[in-house]
Amino acid sequence: LSVHEHILRAFAAALFALGMTLGGEAALADVVAVVSAKSAITSLTADQVADIFLGRVSRFPNGLLAVPIDLRDGAPERDRFYARIAGKSPAQVKAYWSKIIFTGRGQPPKAVSSDIDMKKLIAANLTAIGYIDASMLDSTVRALE
Amino acid sequence: MVHPAALCSPPHSQHAPDVIESRVARKDCSSFRHRLRLPQYGLGVALWAAAITVAATPVSPDSHSDTAPDSMFTFGGFGTLGVVHSDQSLADFTATRSEASGAGYTHAWSASVDSLIGGQASAQFTSQFSATLQIISQQNADSSFTPHVERANIKYQLTPDFALHLGRSALSVFLLTDSRVIGFANPWVRPPVELYNIISLTSSDGVGFSYRFLIAGGTNTVDGSAGHASEKFPRGDESNTSTATADEQLSLIDTYQRGATTVRLTYGQTHVTIASLTPLFEGFRQFGPQGIAIADRYDLSGRIVLFYGLGAAYEPGDWFLMAEWGHVDTHSALGEKAGWYVSSGHRFGLATPYATYAQTTSKTNITDPGLDLAALPPSSAAAAAALNAGLRAAFAVIADTTISLGARFDVARNIDLKLQADRTRLGPHSQGWLINAQPGFEKGSSYNLLSASVDFVF
Repeated sequence: LSVHEHILRAFAAALFALGMTLGGEAALADVVAVVSAKSAITSLTADQVADIFLGRVSRFPNGLLAVPIDLRDGAPERDRFYARIAGKSPAQVKAYWSKIIFTGRGQPPKAVSSDIDMKKLIAANLTAIGYIDASMLDSTVRALE
Repeated sequence: MVHPAALCSPPHSQHAPDVIESRVARKDCSSFRHRLRLPQYGLGVALWAAAITVAATPVSPDSHSDTAPDSMFTFGGFGTLGVVHSDQSLADFTATRSEASGAGYTHAWSASVDSLIGGQASAQFTSQFSATLQIISQQNADSSFTPHVERANIKYQLTPDFALHLGRSALSVFLLTDSRVIGFANPWVRPPVELYNIISLTSSDGVGFSYRFLIAGGTNTVDGSAGHASEKFPRGDESNTSTATADEQLSLIDTYQRGATTVRLTYGQTHVTIASLTPLFEGFRQFGPQGIAIADRYDLSGRIVLFYGLGAAYEPGDWFLMAEWGHVDTHSALGEKAGWYVSSGHRFGLATPYATYAQTTSKTNITDPGLDLAALPPSSAAAAAALNAGLRAAFAVIADTTISLGARFDVARNIDLKLQADRTRLGPHSQGWLINAQPGFEKGSSYNLLSASVDFVF
């Protein structure tokens, strides 16, 4: 049966892909969670940051409203951020939000298109929390963790 | 879950949330933004081609600038294109209890078991008031792919942590019930039928609330709902369907989540009516005190069907371990059923191989002989024998054990490929969850499945 052959080939290709991806991941530059320099928030654990970005909590530990801001889908900093705070791959993050969205329980954080926009937005909003490459830190934002 | 949009302009916020509103793209994940045209004429090849093209289109960074026009509407969709092979050629395997036919007897390889497509439109009218409409096309109990409305509700967010909803809403009795059809959100080709078939309702028409609070270092969410639901089941011949309705349905679901750990407890109760069983018990009531006693003992009407569920998942990122158990007691001829599974997988880059062990057990009064034919005049014995046969069919024992091995491959940001092999051993005197059993089918036997599917979201 040709369909059997196709399935066997697909299994073989899958095993190959598995082998290819077993190699380790390259060392990554740091992406850090940031709030406005004027914010009262000085530190959060990775779990607390993950809870805010995954929509599990709506407030900072001090009770202030927390509004997470994402970088655009596909930004390397975004992928590194979620890998670090939640151990999730880009597909796992997408799968997580697919479940939330299509069960009518919520929408993912709003996104900005560049890290420059991200930093400006965070600096100007006390409720906002975002993430940038550590090399972009300056006096307008505060790195958490 | 709280709608993050509701967080952006809370009435008590002190700090210019409108700056966020205006500067941030209204819809975050650009790939969810493609407009979806809902299927008007069922599942057409053109629709599939369009959906796959949209899903496979690489998202260019330019396609989501933060100056996109602000719209209150979001559109999205999901789908699965899958084939299943069964080596049991005298009965059909189906992925849900609503499908008319499947893999095995009807088709050695079936594309209509797992394949489906769904679209969703949401509107955020104000920071507190939103509406959702979701439509799905998948194989129905009458073999058609006519789309149905899976959800249509309005939600009012009193606070970021307290919401009320009205209309057709998701019913999350198990961890993945509400996302059972969203293959991309799940680790396997399909959630184990051994558990997910014992309560197959995925939505309910009525009212509900969702309230969450912080406790013991985690988040606890309580969901309650009251309403009714109905579902069509196949009756064996393709032209005929039977409707089951669940009235006065109440459910209370508690979900505790902390870090990588999720635990869910579910309680549900409802009155169930199965249209095709009504004539059976009306028949028994024609046969004097003995017949009335049998009908009173086994008729679903007026009985409360009780359901309990317990599930836990640990998902630290690189691997997962999930286990769930559920029990339903119908207090009727349909007896009690329990289902459970345990599943684990590990992610290696883009590949996540997994293994699952799942089991359904059931308890019915299968030895009850029904009406005593010897005590009846020959003229009515034939009718009584037919009723007894109908009762024995209702008593059907559903018991099986399945071992599954498979892998998910994340082939693109919004597309996965899954391959899965299942081996199912049927319980004694049981055909398990198989349907359309043909003469010669052996109860208590074993069968194997091979499945391949592609899931996407857009």
